[in-house]
Amino acid sequence: MRFSLRKAALAAVPALALGAAGAAQAQSITIAVEAPITSVDPHFHNLSPNNGLADVIFGALVNYDERVRPQPGLAVSWRAVDDTTWEFRLRPSVRFHNGNPFTAEDVAFTLARVPTVPNSPSSFATFTRPIVGVEILDPLTIRFRTAAPYPLIVTDLASVRILNRATHEGATTEDFNSGRVAIGAGPYRLVAFRQGDRVELERFDGYWGERPAYQRATLRMITNNAARTAALLAGDVDAIAAVPTSDLARLRADQRFVISEADSVRLIYLALDHSRDANSPGIQDAEGRPITDRNPLRDVRVRRALSMAIDRAAISQRVMEGTSIPAGQFLPEGTYAYVPELRPTPFDLEGARRLLAEAGYPNGFRITLAGPNDRYVNDARIIQAIGQMWTRAGVRTAVEAMPWTAYVPRSDRQEFSAFLYGWGSASGEPSSPLRALVATFNRERGMGPSNRGRYSNPEVDRLLEEALRTVDDAARERILQQAIRVVFEDVGIIPIHIQKNIWAMRRGIAHVARADELTRPQDFRPAN
Amino acid sequence: MSTTTAPPPRVETPLRRFAAEFAESRIAVGGLVVFVLIALGALFAPWITPQNPYDLMQIDIMDGRQPPGTSGGAGFTFWLGTDDQGRDMFSAILYGLRISLLVGAGSALIAAMVGASLGLIAAYAGGRTDSAIMRLVDLQLSFPAILVALMILAFLGKGILNVVLALVIVEWAYYARTVRGSALVERRREYIEAAHCLALPTHRILFRHLLPNCLPPLIVVATMQVARAIALEATLSFLGLGVPITEPSLGLLIANGYQYMLSGHYWISFYPGIALLITIVSINLVGDHLRDVLNPRLKR
Repeated sequence: MRFSLRKAALAAVPALALGAAGAAQAQSITIAVEAPITSVDPHFHNLSPNNGLADVIFGALVNYDERVRPQPGLAVSWRAVDDTTWEFRLRPSVRFHNGNPFTAEDVAFTLARVPTVPNSPSSFATFTRPIVGVEILDPLTIRFRTAAPYPLIVTDLASVRILNRATHEGATTEDFNSGRVAIGAGPYRLVAFRQGDRVELERFDGYWGERPAYQRATLRMITNNAARTAALLAGDVDAIAAVPTSDLARLRADQRFVISEADSVRLIYLALDHSRDANSPGIQDAEGRPITDRNPLRDVRVRRALSMAIDRAAISQRVMEGTSIPAGQFLPEGTYAYVPELRPTPFDLEGARRLLAEAGYPNGFRITLAGPNDRYVNDARIIQAIGQMWTRAGVRTAVEAMPWTAYVPRSDRQEFSAFLYGWGSASGEPSSPLRALVATFNRERGMGPSNRGRYSNPEVDRLLEEALRTVDDAARERILQQAIRVVFEDVGIIPIHIQKNIWAMRRGIAHVARADELTRPQDFRPAN
Repeated sequence: MSTTTAPPPRVETPLRRFAAEFAESRIAVGGLVVFVLIALGALFAPWITPQNPYDLMQIDIMDGRQPPGTSGGAGFTFWLGTDDQGRDMFSAILYGLRISLLVGAGSALIAAMVGASLGLIAAYAGGRTDSAIMRLVDLQLSFPAILVALMILAFLGKGILNVVLALVIVEWAYYARTVRGSALVERRREYIEAAHCLALPTHRILFRHLLPNCLPPLIVVATMQVARAIALEATLSFLGLGVPITEPSLGLLIANGYQYMLSGHYWISFYPGIALLITIVSINLVGDHLRDVLNPRLKR
């Protein structure tokens, strides 16, 4: 307390204060994150906050850079030997926090452990399942065999953090949480993990990569938006993740703080009911009677009209306060298989009305638009705004917002006609949303697991399957682009925007903002 | 005294005296006047307000978060500003009051009917019936009201009717306990014995003789419970479990604005908060004074 008072007094002399604070605090940083880290075990729960921490303590063969492009990590290079065999050359003289050397044995051990972690709420096994055989050629060379051609192996391995056989044989998730075996080859080692409260870290000086700027780092979990902002304003923390959009203007205007932002890989979109031929649950005609002979959403003209009626620029400006980019496809510009000519559908109210009339709804119809109110940034505000816009185009919209836990089971049961979801393409390339959101739903084959509107287009399925078999990056990119074109020309889903990830920190700290939402202490350093 | 005169003049004189006694307190009368004004404003909201904030056609996101006094695109001035969706706060508050008062008064009325009936039955029947009902009351009162309401709404889903139902379930016990207490006293009076001797049917004794004499405390509890129900509805809506988001009540308006508190858009939750405050205080002022006037122990 006394210390902060003295600091406040010093603030009267700005230059002095900056210098003093900078020198005093360069050794440690405290960052508030927006969601609880549920475990230190890197193979327990596939969740962004956990993955962020795993990136700090552990390391993977492949790392993502801040724009989700694969970079050498614990592997220095990789190549496809043939269509189903991949060879990875490992980084020499890497050591774990306890001094053990890193070898191919550890990679084989990790791959064997991942599917066996008990009680995993969201398993990492999807990333290791395609690998059916492991062959160690020498301590620094390993080969993976897949049952079928599988080009996504490189991006998948970025999600698998490597453990040490000697240290982690038989280790349980509790052993990681207690800190006993929280040992990896990452830039920081774990000092303490307090569930729901904080994680304390200390720099690992034997790290193979670039040395982090701060000797000590603390991640505090502050889930309440207002409390997180207040903690930064009060000086309790040096930086916060996921700045609430409503506080952004204030923080931007405040000279004491700086903002860092990056376009994310999370698309916010509307899914539509494609599964029914008539009697879609949230749809009535203009007079409020159920439409028993057809489902308007099966008509591409109606879907296009609904997309045209949305003023994406207004949502971006007024609801998101500039923290979103209007979207016309799954991923932002600059990503793999981005389709340059596929722009966000321009706002055209007259055109939307014309298309609706053409499709046989000159007086429009009624629809219920559903969405969560506690999951995505401003989710309930977005669906209300879209409700206004659709109503103006003649589609009278009722808006139903509910907590995520109530929303997911109802949407899984196809209880909605139009509903808002988001999809973060953690791998930074579009095969994940294509496979999850618009491929024809097929439980056995693992296709369309999140295709809750049950969109189905044989052309998309065919192109996607072809892409998933194509190992050559350039050839695959062309096929994926074609699949994306087909989906969005057919308005399989209505893309709204891509979120931006935003951090705020004290002036004097610089941060490399990441597209994948991960908050990692090694991305912060003193400015200049 | 209550046994000496026939019903019509008996009702007449106390009422007049009651009115005179009530008028003694300026504060209570002021509260009543304010409350009547609020109720009228809510009742005639569609004719007073420049905008129907529940019609998505009439609100525009481009008018969002305008400070008080801004002129909007629709050709009128937002005297109290607008919320994040572009609703005129003045209109939204009056419409929100409609919901708050409807839910508050509706649930209090239904809860009073249910609770009073059960309380009368308990007092009159005695024995096991009495024990059963009163243990149910104890059980009900041992749970925090907000917790019970949250559970009911989580189970039933959102919607105004479900909120009313939840509030009735939360509140009936207060009426039951109050009415039972005064009915226990009244049932030993001579007029009830006389009614027995005349072999009047039980329901007639209960509702024509016993109930009217238990009314004063019931009225006091009902007044207080209306205020409580309004506050509880606001809490539920604030937590996102009450009314639909496109038809905000006062609680939901406050919740919407709460997120903008740090960014300086104070009016989004400030004015609905003030409206809620004034409503509840005015009802409580009336209720407080009613208790003083209607309490026989405080007389003479």
